Amino acid sequence: MIELHGLTKLYDDARVVDDVSLTVDQGEFCVLIGPSGCGKSTTLKMINRLVPLTSGRILLHGEDVAALPAEQLRRRIGYAIQSIGLFPHWTVAQNIAVVPTLLKWPKARIADRVEELLALLRLDADGFRDKYPHELSGGQAQRVGVARALAADPDVMLMDEPFGALDPITREVLQAELARVHHETGKTIVFVTHDMDEALKLATRIAVMNEGRLVQYDRPIELLFSPADDFVRDFLGKADLGLKLLTRRWVHQYVAPAPWADRRASMGSLRDIVATHGHVWLVDGDGRPEGLFGARLWRAEGDPLGELSRIHPDWLATPEMTMKEALSRMVWRRVLALPVVDADGRLSGEVTMAGVMGRQPEGAAA
Amino acid sequence: MTEATVLAPPAAGRRRARPLLLAVLALVLVGLVLFMHELEPLFRAWFPDLDRPMYRRETFLRLTLDHVLLVLVSSAVSVAVGVSAGIFVTRPAGREFAPMVSALSAIGQTFPPAAVLAIVVPLAGFGFVPTIVALTLYGLLPVVQNTIAGLGTVPPATLEAARGTGMSRWQILTRVELPLAMRVIIAGVRVSVIINIGTATIGSTVGARSLGTPIIAGLVGDNIAYVIQGAAVVGLLAIVTDMAFEQVERRFTFGGRG
Repeated sequence: MIELHGLTKLYDDARVVDDVSLTVDQGEFCVLIGPSGCGKSTTLKMINRLVPLTSGRILLHGEDVAALPAEQLRRRIGYAIQSIGLFPHWTVAQNIAVVPTLLKWPKARIADRVEELLALLRLDADGFRDKYPHELSGGQAQRVGVARALAADPDVMLMDEPFGALDPITREVLQAELARVHHETGKTIVFVTHDMDEALKLATRIAVMNEGRLVQYDRPIELLFSPADDFVRDFLGKADLGLKLLTRRWVHQYVAPAPWADRRASMGSLRDIVATHGHVWLVDGDGRPEGLFGARLWRAEGDPLGELSRIHPDWLATPEMTMKEALSRMVWRRVLALPVVDADGRLSGEVTMAGVMGRQPEGAAA
Repeated sequence: MTEATVLAPPAAGRRRARPLLLAVLALVLVGLVLFMHELEPLFRAWFPDLDRPMYRRETFLRLTLDHVLLVLVSSAVSVAVGVSAGIFVTRPAGREFAPMVSALSAIGQTFPPAAVLAIVVPLAGFGFVPTIVALTLYGLLPVVQNTIAGLGTVPPATLEAARGTGMSRWQILTRVELPLAMRVIIAGVRVSVIINIGTATIGSTVGARSLGTPIIAGLVGDNIAYVIQGAAVVGLLAIVTDMAFEQVERRFTFGGRG
């Protein structure tokens, strides 16, 4: 748990951070967000004392961080930055092992921990352990950066725009990985970004900052529904607020029973189902969706079934997928419904365009 | 870092390693030092007018060892002082001294070594000590400048990460900054040592025995064979040392730098 009390930072006479107070509970993913120069990075760096604070107090698990020697404090807090800053003269394994080495862990324990972290960050241990940083792609390097931050198993991680320099595809992959790591390890994470989509995707709490002040500190859904002022509303982006909302909605919240039939079913029985439900999923012997009658924007002349559409892998939705992505797939494939499949690829339900529209937003979700 | 502030032989570190050539030249050097006197017939044929075409007052082994000792001692002092000064002026506490240290080391190199000898001899007497002082001053600049430049090449992100992971200042210096700056620092030491191998010959003018002794004797006594004998060993020694440094530098190249 991290508590900031009246945190203030003056550079000369400029109030870079102005009386910021907030509490990050154990296991929260707190995103500090705001335009450039709003003081979010400075706030983050005051937590591990890379930047000395002018006034205020920071408590880590109830303990004033100023009471500890700065080096000891930093070894207890994971730290990852946009420019990554891997040590170019050390291998991946040595880079990850920095903090455990400083803490003088026994060699065998360090080696085990490195293996564990490479596995956690989905880097093949044999392929990567002995590589040097210049041999890594940007995404791989930041995976190593995150592994290094996690190395000594700190309860708290500070991350300063860690994915800001990555290409959009790699960034999405790493965001998903970080969300998974957060979920699996239950770390408390304080994360700085200026990208609202990133914040909405990852955060359990969002702190919006502007000109050194904390403007709003809320859960993502509450932020979307009741922005504190025009600044927050503008920052959220008025135009695609609806779509942003769907980044905090998951397929499992919208899934409905799917009308289905075995692929060998008679045309007559298929017509009956389509007459009631508008469309029908055809499944193979194992229950995997194979085809779809209906649910298209157009219909062939005369036949109420329309044409049979073969299910494309891009059509499938999984329960953990955001509704934004599900909606995107519907639009891209020009279908009004997506099959939802379980881990074995079996049809477990569907999400429909009508379902997206009809669902009433509720404040307590997420 | 600006490339211009780094003193390095042209294309340092970019050439392919030539360990074989180095070994051959080193063997030639050792042979020349040990068996120079066997070449007397050669020099006699080359300079038929000279009564004594072979320098025989001391053995070349003796001269070479004294020469190397001069270079080793002065370079060790240059490196110790130069690297310490370079580290000091790149710490927060010493930053304001940076222009002064750069200026002082530059002045040290602007002085011709002969002028330094002229100043030091009245103070320290003849022989070994004034030569060491002159060589040390003369070799300081490349070490100081390259230490400052080398520490400047360490990426700020690496330093922030080092601080963020909880390294102490000493750990950051010894585990991160110096290893990363080492290639550039060694390039400075290399220049310093090579300069001093050549300059140490001047020491003979104030009575420090070195490979300059036959050269000076030859110049004074109009015996060009002595000059050639001394100069050949000094030249070869400089080339072999330079190539050896090249091998060492390559070990400190990380991530395609250099």
